[in-house]
Amino acid sequence: MPHYTELNIGPVHPSIHGIFNFKLILNEEIIQDVKVTLGFLHRNAEKLSELNLYADNIIFFDRMNYIDAMNMELCYLMSVEKITGIEPPERAQWIRMIMVELNRLAARLVGMGSLGLDLGMLTPFFHAFKEREKIQRIFTEASGGRQEVNYFSIGGVYQDFTEKIINDIRNFIDQFKKNLEDMYNMFIHSEIFWQRNQGIGIIEPELAFDYGVTGPAIRASGIPYDVRKDAPYLFYDKVNFDIPISHQKDNFGRFMIKVEEMRQSIRIIEQSLDKINDGPFFNPQGKKSLMLRIKGNGEAFSRVESDAGEFGVYVKGDNTTKPYRVHARSPGLRNLSLLPVISKGLMIADFIAVVGGLDPVVGEVDR
Amino acid sequence: MYKIVSDEKDKVGMRVITVDKTDLIEAMTDFKNKGYYLTCLNGNDMKDHLEVIYFLHNFDTNDYFAVKTSTNDEHLPSLTKLFKVAEWDEREQYDLMGIIFDGHDDLRRIFLPDEWVGHPLRKDYDLKKVQYVNMDSEGNEHVSFDEKEGS
Amino acid sequence: MNLLFKLHQWFSFLGNYASYGIAYLIETIVVLAFVAISFIILIYVFRKYMARIQLRIGPNRVGKFGLLQLIADALKLMGKESILPKGRDDMAYKIAPIITMMSIMVSFIIIPYGGLYYFGNLTTTHSDITLILIFGILSIMPIGEVLGGISTRSNYAILGTLRGIAKDVSFEVPMLISVLAIVMVSSRSFVTGGSTYNSLSLAGIVTNEIIPYGIIEPLGLIVFFISMIARASYSPFDLSESDSELISGSTTEYGGMRFGLFYIGLFGMVYLGSFLVSLLYLGGYNGPVSSYFGFIFLLIKVIILVLIAFLIWLSLPRMRIDRFVQFGWKYLLPLAVINLIYAGFFVLYIR
Repeated sequence: MPHYTELNIGPVHPSIHGIFNFKLILNEEIIQDVKVTLGFLHRNAEKLSELNLYADNIIFFDRMNYIDAMNMELCYLMSVEKITGIEPPERAQWIRMIMVELNRLAARLVGMGSLGLDLGMLTPFFHAFKEREKIQRIFTEASGGRQEVNYFSIGGVYQDFTEKIINDIRNFIDQFKKNLEDMYNMFIHSEIFWQRNQGIGIIEPELAFDYGVTGPAIRASGIPYDVRKDAPYLFYDKVNFDIPISHQKDNFGRFMIKVEEMRQSIRIIEQSLDKINDGPFFNPQGKKSLMLRIKGNGEAFSRVESDAGEFGVYVKGDNTTKPYRVHARSPGLRNLSLLPVISKGLMIADFIAVVGGLDPVVGEVDR
Repeated sequence: MYKIVSDEKDKVGMRVITVDKTDLIEAMTDFKNKGYYLTCLNGNDMKDHLEVIYFLHNFDTNDYFAVKTSTNDEHLPSLTKLFKVAEWDEREQYDLMGIIFDGHDDLRRIFLPDEWVGHPLRKDYDLKKVQYVNMDSEGNEHVSFDEKEGS
Repeated sequence: MNLLFKLHQWFSFLGNYASYGIAYLIETIVVLAFVAISFIILIYVFRKYMARIQLRIGPNRVGKFGLLQLIADALKLMGKESILPKGRDDMAYKIAPIITMMSIMVSFIIIPYGGLYYFGNLTTTHSDITLILIFGILSIMPIGEVLGGISTRSNYAILGTLRGIAKDVSFEVPMLISVLAIVMVSSRSFVTGGSTYNSLSLAGIVTNEIIPYGIIEPLGLIVFFISMIARASYSPFDLSESDSELISGSTTEYGGMRFGLFYIGLFGMVYLGSFLVSLLYLGGYNGPVSSYFGFIFLLIKVIILVLIAFLIWLSLPRMRIDRFVQFGWKYLLPLAVINLIYAGFFVLYIR
């Protein structure tokens, strides 16, 4: 007769990225069932957004996926700019694109480092965070914020790129190429890393569609779905980059996808830096003195490819200065909802690795 | 056969079709058979009625569009039999918007404690009434309007 | 002329037995003081080394270059409130860290340290069976971990303990078989070709070890070194601790100085394991020049081994428990047996 143990992972646990509670039903070390409890970081950003002005709401989106804040802001602003009719000028779009890709690199570095930490590898974490720190220096130079940047504004960006920032980004990219490969080798040259990641947390494509999983998780299942290619926003149709896919479907595939996408992000940043043009960096309709009087009308749903997957924001305006309804489609919530399904029959150690590979960020799951 | 009440485009250029509440399951089954998957759903409180927008996506043709439906009595049929993603999304809309999805097996609150009173995203939700969450010695959460109760 | 005999001569006015007793006591205290001081230095070196690998600076605030950091940490641990979990088995809970700590400390007294210029031979325990003795004491150490794990009735601790037991079972058999091979090889003298009589004592083995046994049986060296890392619960074999899965495994419910004792126990195990590897396989205190500096040679070998163990710890992810058990029974055990057969042939035919 099997004997079941209940093990609480979280809300406070060394390797849960944020505060979830997973209640594992264990038979010895084998997981029979997982019960997920959410809401420990629920702030109801959707309601808060209804109570505040269009321009004020950017900060709530910064704090959704706090390691990928630029993408969150971008998605909200894309919707807001549609319903207010304030389109950003070309230079602002290029600046946004560079920043978004830099932030994607930063977010992937966190994911990569913390996956190592989850598996018991201490060293790559520090190497990854050192690189991330350099990206955050660039953010600080541009916006004044490190993580929750609040850099984009309605109709443009908060500050223009100076020569120094562009040079900083170029220097960073030059040395990052080598450091990324070093970090990658640190993982990939370890036999145990392969053993720990291969064959666990398998997501079949059909399952991924059904549960709405997007991002690296679906690309690791062999589906080349990326919002940047399939529904290009900003100037993603004007730069060359590839969408990597993997047919491994497991945690290892997801790791490889993430690393390959970092290389593609570097390509995008390099091309954007070459193509960025002079001009205004914000739309005069969205300037600071008018910001409090911006009115929106109609509804818009726009989506971007964030770190965890397809992030979408629905904004509905009723011709006042405050949005009538804001809703965020969180990719992390979908990835998490799949977790009880794919983790049946795994061991605890594998479960931790799968959570680390899916990398849900609690700020975006709970909102 | 279901009837499309209206067919328009939103500000981004996405197609938004409106169907009746009674036609919802039929329409969704049809879209599922055409290769569409639900990606997200969103409830709107329109003061006199509730409105739900389902976002559907076809991975083959890369088509993204929205289906809108509305209800006057807070009840809507659940789509959990068709799309698994609806399980948590409907729980979320039940929790925050108070839409009751008939046929959902596990319609509990997802973010807020089970004893929470009211649905925060409703326009008539009273934000001035503060609710306090306390935890007893067994670790169960209790919600009350009184600050001192339970702790 | 060894240190014990010198001390005995100094205290000879007290009579034969009393002077031997005092001599043993003093030498034990000296050895333990040496071990404690070298712990402090080693942990400091380890933290600096770890910091350098991880692109950090490491301790640099307390004292010059942060040298006093460990003392500050120890004071902090001692000053901490002793939090006792509810529903514990009181006796087992309190005795477990002491068992772990004591078994390590006693093991250090058995180690032969070799000669140092003026002091003579520093070996404390003069016995013919120190090899058996030290592995006997080492097998007490897991008892501390098991008691500590199950006495707290925490699920994390129990799972960690179960993993720890599975781990111990899978590597201890290959470890002892590879030690057996050492005893076989060392039972014949290289010089005379005849039998030797003290091949069950560590000092006797080192005396016979003119060529390091690691050169003669490299397989045994590998098996034994891996087993020693596993014994010390270092990554990739830190299964009973598993800090990212089971919080802290068997020591989850411990805090303050009780946790400090476990920490010292596990850290000391790396140090002790390096001593054993260098004694059994790398020639111990035998060196290229005269044995006056045997102790220094031993220390150099030990520090190199400890740094290698740290490097492995810092660069590898943790193995999964079932993989480790498979690794123990499918790879380590056959390797150890092959090594044993090879040692038999070596003793009989090659020598």
